[in-house]
Amino acid sequence: MQVQGRKVAVVGMGGAFPTCTDVDDFGKKLFSNQSLIREWDKAVKYKKQVRSTVSGFITEEEMGLEAILAPLDEAYPETYVDRLGRIPDINLATADMGSIWGMIGALDCIKMAGWTEKEVRSEQTGVVVASGGAGNLILRVAWHYFFVHGVKTRIAGSHTVDRTMFYRDAANISCLIRNRGVCEAIGSACATGLGNIGYAYRLIKFGLQDRVIAGGLEGTALETFIGFDGMMILSKGFSPEESSRPFDMKRNGFVCSFGAGLVALEEYEMAKARGANIIAVIDEYFNNSDGDGDMFYPSFGGQQRLWSGLMPDKGLKPDVVKMHGTSTPVGDSVELLSVVDALGDSGYHMCAPKSQFGHMLGGAGSVEFIAALLMLQKQMVLPCLNSVDLNPELENFQKAENWTGPIEPLAAYRDLVPQKSFAKEINRVACLNYGFGGTNSAMMISRDIS
Amino acid sequence: MERQEILEGLLEVLRTVRTIDPARLEGVTEETDFLTDLSAPSTELINIAAKVEHKFGIEFEDDDIDRMGSKVKDVIDLIILVKARGENK
Repeated sequence: MQVQGRKVAVVGMGGAFPTCTDVDDFGKKLFSNQSLIREWDKAVKYKKQVRSTVSGFITEEEMGLEAILAPLDEAYPETYVDRLGRIPDINLATADMGSIWGMIGALDCIKMAGWTEKEVRSEQTGVVVASGGAGNLILRVAWHYFFVHGVKTRIAGSHTVDRTMFYRDAANISCLIRNRGVCEAIGSACATGLGNIGYAYRLIKFGLQDRVIAGGLEGTALETFIGFDGMMILSKGFSPEESSRPFDMKRNGFVCSFGAGLVALEEYEMAKARGANIIAVIDEYFNNSDGDGDMFYPSFGGQQRLWSGLMPDKGLKPDVVKMHGTSTPVGDSVELLSVVDALGDSGYHMCAPKSQFGHMLGGAGSVEFIAALLMLQKQMVLPCLNSVDLNPELENFQKAENWTGPIEPLAAYRDLVPQKSFAKEINRVACLNYGFGGTNSAMMISRDIS
Repeated sequence: MERQEILEGLLEVLRTVRTIDPARLEGVTEETDFLTDLSAPSTELINIAAKVEHKFGIEFEDDDIDRMGSKVKDVIDLIILVKARGENK
């Protein structure tokens, strides 16, 4: 049953972006076709234990933060110091690195949105933010000392729960900004970032909240990185800036990255009435499951149904599709063909921001959503870096008897996949993100033209 | 180590993989393919490799695993290669 609901505007954005000082710096680097991926010293240190050593990351120093290390272990942060004085010490005490980025991003959002203290602290203001959660430095060290070294529980300090619980990012942001509305974390693996924004959109659309700080993040953790490295799905054998190569024939895995993307959403009429700068309007959000019992592999059918849900009447065609595009062998080809199946072979472009900063896991959906917002602002399409050669042969799954999708190879769609950014009139962008467990999510945003 | 001995050791490993139907392990030969004949989920190949390392006291290089085919004979060839590599050090 479709309910019309209220219109929702995006009025702020912020976060933590690899190598960048802020969202403006992020935009400048993206639109000048730069790669934000580097050799990661923390992975390099483990030499032959890991297969991949590249990542899109931002150091504590680059974020203006510093860890105060506990006597327990040189890897264990007792707390952090904010050298730029943005976050009070009491809030830093209950936060891991990801939560700190979340708090910084939330403050940036609120400032850009121009919300008053009364509006922020309202019962009508919510926080919906989460991270992916596959790895955790603080838990790993705390458990190691308890289980292996036999120390008392208090030796790891009294902030293990608050700094590691699943919804720590939302909790820390809420404690900082003191909103009185919803405070929750929505998890959906690599769709988490977009999923939280989608959930927040629904809260406002259906009249439950007027304002929400929403997004996703992934705090730096080698513990997370090695999980994917062990699955042999990380990119290997390329220079750092050439490692993330969505759609390219030579792609062999994704680049595991870390960062945070937060946005401020507000009921549209309210934002308009107070003269807010409306960065974008959210037209629709749709999510579903593949339903084929496969934890890892994408489903063409699931993605077809995703597009039917996002554009039920085939109107509202996007000018740009912000792809999930991870640089994995199977994922990219299924996705490209499902987009062609939905939108045809011309009249739009695809972009793959992961080609520029890698896969931020819990942060991917929201950081890439911010990239989509920047495309609307700048009226420029972002590239698919390193998509040098597209397969001129059919994929194996296209040759299967039950295949009902496009019967051209990926190379036929070269015109849709730009390797450099370029100017274009962009009124509408579709954002796609998928996750383990077969979850698919899609959001359509457009310029505010009223 | 003889190929037949390695095959038997490999079968012992495969019997511990709960997502492989034990009935399919009857009549396994060197030509049996893990993916098409045993219907092993492709994500299990890495776990099988790790168990094989443990069973035979060897350690694969990343390139060994990247290049390994999905047939039983490919794994036996690799085990022999890596054992010989270890002995030559």
